[in-house]
Amino acid sequence: MRKLSADLANALAAEYVLGTLPGRARRRFEAIVRADPETAAILRRWEDGLTPLAEGVAPVEPPARVWREIEARIAPPAAAATKAGSGFWKAFGMVSGGLASVLLAFFLYISTGSRGDPLFVAVLTAPDSAPRMVVSMQAPHTLRVRMVKPWGGMEDKGLELWVLPKDGAPRSLGMVHNTMGDTMIRIGPDDPRIQDIKALAISAEPPGGSPTKQPTGPVLCSGMVAPVRRA
Amino acid sequence: MSADPATERLAELLARSALRDRTAFKNLYDATRSKLFAVSLRIVRERALAEEVLQDSFVSIWNHAADYARAKSAPLTWMTAIVRNRSLDVVRRTREEPDVDELLTTNLVDESASPARDAETRAEAHTIRDCLQELEAEQRQSIALAFFHGLSHSELADHMRRPLGTVKTHIRRGLLKLKDCLGRHAMTEHG
Repeated sequence: MRKLSADLANALAAEYVLGTLPGRARRRFEAIVRADPETAAILRRWEDGLTPLAEGVAPVEPPARVWREIEARIAPPAAAATKAGSGFWKAFGMVSGGLASVLLAFFLYISTGSRGDPLFVAVLTAPDSAPRMVVSMQAPHTLRVRMVKPWGGMEDKGLELWVLPKDGAPRSLGMVHNTMGDTMIRIGPDDPRIQDIKALAISAEPPGGSPTKQPTGPVLCSGMVAPVRRA
Repeated sequence: MSADPATERLAELLARSALRDRTAFKNLYDATRSKLFAVSLRIVRERALAEEVLQDSFVSIWNHAADYARAKSAPLTWMTAIVRNRSLDVVRRTREEPDVDELLTTNLVDESASPARDAETRAEAHTIRDCLQELEAEQRQSIALAFFHGLSHSELADHMRRPLGTVKTHIRRGLLKLKDCLGRHAMTEHG
């Protein structure tokens, strides 16, 4: 693809953001932006500069049906088929996986009894509701991540484990092996990263982890955390 | 990016949405829906079309929430750009031939003339408004009409009763001045 001069890239990016670039030229410019990071950076500068102008418009409330449609369109396949399920499980698209998760968690709870109860457990399921990992916090200093089924075709990617707290941005717990077996993460029960923990999730990231300290890749599996009552 | 609390809150909600947190995504929608619906409605001008745009945009935001972390823009800017682009796609598709009569009777507002400096407006919004004020009246008017109402060059020419070439020149020169002005502001912020 022909390389644009900086002046031309600026002129096209400006009219693209303004909206005056005609239909076909818009498509062509979008193709250039996808292929050329320099032009993409110029476009982003214009978006950052011009777009905030839109923040001055008087708000107009959209009808409630818009959200209902969005919700239906982003629903996981399992949840789309079943209307039942409490908001707790539905929030993570685990309507059908919910029961399996509870059973697995219960099994895990029973099986670890002799070595001391875990502080919490979570079964991480893929979007198709299949369990992929079981995570348990073993007192006092170990988080055990047990792989149920590794991902294929991910040689150039790493798996990063995230905590979703009750409120606030996700927190990284580090990288997890994409092989059968356990990854042990050393972490204290008072570690700030696991306070107010609500759920855990795995995203695909570059091998060294997310470059931005926030998830950048697709989410491979996630699950709500179930606290375990200490005996 | 200046990280005011509202901006940080939206960035958090986007990051959680990237991890498939549907509750966070609903909160993100609730925090931005009325602004974004208004932005689209001005461009597409029909409620049914604007509803469709909002819906498609949020499905896209859900699917690409993880890309946001790499975008380095303010979250509202990133989301607004998605809504504006989709709105412009819709009008360019449905309004390829400008309907002059309809345009001339439509009451188009020059948004740049109204101050709207409420406390919620971010610093970036003040900057672009200030820069617009530095333009000549016709440059400012053409740019505001294109930006807020999605008018094409020929629609602008019809609406402003000016030759097409004149309108294109206004826009081009106006944008060049904006680039200088935005560049000056960026330098003061960083230096």
